[in-house]
Amino acid sequence: MGEVILTMKDIDKSFPGVHALDHVDLEIRKGEVLALMGENGAGKSTLMKVLTGIYTKDSGTITYEGKEVEFHNTKEAQDAGIVIVHQELNMLGHLTVAQNIFIGREFKKGIRIDDAKMNEEAAKLFKRMNIDIDPKETMSHLTVGRQQMCEIAKAISHEAKVIIFDEPSAALTETEIEELFKIINDLRSKGIGIVYISHRMDEIKKITDRVTVMRDGTYVGTLITKDSTKDDIINMMVGRVIYEDPKTHSTVPKDAPVVLKVDHLNAGKMVQDVSFELRKGEILGFSGLMGAGRTETARALFGADPVESGDIYINGKKVVIKSPQDAVKYGIGYLSEDRKRYGCVVQKSVAENTTLATLDSYTKGIFIDKKKEKEVAEKYVESLATKTPTVDQLVVNLSGGNQQKVVIAKWLTRDCDILIFDEPTRGIDVGAKNEIYKLMNQLAKEGKAIIMISSEMTEILRMSDRVAVMCEGKKTGELDISEATQENIMNLATREIE
Amino acid sequence: MGKIKENPFVKKVGFNRIVLFFVLLLLYGFFCVMTGGNFLGVGRILSALNYAYFLGFLSLGVTFVIATGGIDFSIGPVMFCCALISGYSLVSHGISMPVAIIISILVGFAFGLFNGYLVAYWTVPSFITSMASMNIAKGLASVFTKTQSVNWPQASAEGGWYRMIIKVGDIPVGLFIFLAVAVICAIILNKTKIGRYILCLGSNKEAVRLSGVDVKKWEMLAYIICGTLVGIGALFYVAAYTTVQPGYGDQYNNEAIAGCVMGGTSMAGGLASISGTVMGVFVIALLQEGILALGLDKNYQLIVTGIIVIVAVFGDVLSRRRKN
Repeated sequence: MGEVILTMKDIDKSFPGVHALDHVDLEIRKGEVLALMGENGAGKSTLMKVLTGIYTKDSGTITYEGKEVEFHNTKEAQDAGIVIVHQELNMLGHLTVAQNIFIGREFKKGIRIDDAKMNEEAAKLFKRMNIDIDPKETMSHLTVGRQQMCEIAKAISHEAKVIIFDEPSAALTETEIEELFKIINDLRSKGIGIVYISHRMDEIKKITDRVTVMRDGTYVGTLITKDSTKDDIINMMVGRVIYEDPKTHSTVPKDAPVVLKVDHLNAGKMVQDVSFELRKGEILGFSGLMGAGRTETARALFGADPVESGDIYINGKKVVIKSPQDAVKYGIGYLSEDRKRYGCVVQKSVAENTTLATLDSYTKGIFIDKKKEKEVAEKYVESLATKTPTVDQLVVNLSGGNQQKVVIAKWLTRDCDILIFDEPTRGIDVGAKNEIYKLMNQLAKEGKAIIMISSEMTEILRMSDRVAVMCEGKKTGELDISEATQENIMNLATREIE
Repeated sequence: MGKIKENPFVKKVGFNRIVLFFVLLLLYGFFCVMTGGNFLGVGRILSALNYAYFLGFLSLGVTFVIATGGIDFSIGPVMFCCALISGYSLVSHGISMPVAIIISILVGFAFGLFNGYLVAYWTVPSFITSMASMNIAKGLASVFTKTQSVNWPQASAEGGWYRMIIKVGDIPVGLFIFLAVAVICAIILNKTKIGRYILCLGSNKEAVRLSGVDVKKWEMLAYIICGTLVGIGALFYVAAYTTVQPGYGDQYNNEAIAGCVMGGTSMAGGLASISGTVMGVFVIALLQEGILALGLDKNYQLIVTGIIVIVAVFGDVLSRRRKN
């Protein structure tokens, strides 16, 4: 194992209301692949953004090749030899491979761009990497995997000494992953320090030398990969204390009627053959890591995105949902994870948003009965304890928690029987969180059936009667709350891909 | 400044509209002084307005489209198309005046339906759709009239009664009709389901769609309302000028849109004011008349309205940037 090339020590970073990194340490060595693991929001990306100069750290030191450094932007980091290969590729599809690799630093002949020289240099790079890509090929003609190879070639062309791979395999096929690993191995043997961020346990075992685990913005520990098991790593990822009392058993009777049945639902790559049942008065938690396909499943079910195949039954009757209009007609309400974009019309008032889904009930002929509208808005402001001076206040002026309450009110006026809460407490402070939880429990008690998508383990264990777990577009398991633990949920969420 | 905006009266009427009102007064005073009092008097104002009502209807119509976050560059040529097709049918095919009036409105309606359907259901950008239908309107009118200008009947001729929509003796009927239609538009925009959905989808279409609302239908309806008002506007144009020539009408797009955005309707959609549009139209009418009274030619009007559009839209952009 090689010498240390980069050390991050005591890195601290706060955003308004969030302590994103709490004295985190990281050590990268020459000729080694370091896995960086952790749940969503553990702080992996933030740490890498601090390293490459996208964020400025509040405190702590970064030592690179024996000297203390601080980068102010990615360009400075790049020039020093630290590069990120992003999950989303930053390629210009209509340019050639060589033009993409040398973008911003083209070789020139007078004022003309010297394409021949660029092609030559790119060919040399590919030869060094032992891969066969034509530098003159148009970028958009390559597969995603090959495009990623180009991204890596670009990184190498910067004379990189440290390369960070941010979930590089997410969009790749099996053979492309094999090829990627070959390149990574090759880079390792050339003494480059590599950071590999991924959720896929099998890859971690296969390609990495050490694993550093982060949790809730803190450094948990580092393991030698070949000496540790998947369970060791998962235990480190989830080993937090659950402060709020988790639900130990479900109070929903076993014979409660099934209000919603989803059968073999398919919608694109992110929703593959998803089936589940939802009972009256039940909260069904949907757990999984980022990009597991939970939101996509909800949107397909709600008619917001097109469905390829699969059946949906409501109260035992088969229904066809082609648009949100249909879904609403069948009594489904969807509360989006992104309230400002999909939840409410922020430039309109609380009252206008409250009746958005039910305006027909507040009209006389074509005229809106503003008095009645105001009454119902005030009723829900009171019952949900929404903090707003008047119902004429624009929603944009409310806090996140109160905006969420306005969206909840919108669906309550509709009297929906099935409510889908997608990340119901994202961006909401602790006090308001508890109120939202109370409200959801109360709704369930009143007989509503709730699907709750959440990336927070504590939220899943506290609220759900049952937990469905998804991984890469597939449902990988279902657990009753009495048997659900952080460990076995995480196990399902990071299941190896056969 | 902040304090003034918090005043309940100012809040209710709208800061923008109050500013616009003073602009209107100042502008009037300016022209009165510059022309040596030539500009004073109700009669003078009313006679100037006679040639501006059609623009008012265009402005009212396009307000609905802009409220959805769209734009319509076809209103001017479509208005000419309405006037030409109905006028040619009247003069050369011998249909009666009431039928001609209905045809004019129907042609406007049809163009609104066409634009709205393409924008809402086929999601063609409104900018492109309306540019295309502008050319279609021009071409269609030329083909229909065999590229000849059409002369609607004079007041004294048979069927000339239609000109009474502008004035009867000294009574400014046109003003009454225009204001009445504006009031109806304001009611539609602010008190009905149609207006509510148009404004909400202009502000955040996806959120409205995810609330289970048929956004396509309501978006299309905005264009239909616009087209219909353009069809009515065509009648006020011929009542003022009687002669229509095929292949023109573009210049009125700019003027109508200027009147609308000056009144505080946001190009980003979601925010619209009918009273603002009405005042905006008056400002445009006043400017046109004033520029003529100063002895400058019509080209200066084009320059001034061009500048107004830029200033008004820039003001809107600034105020939104400040909010964010």
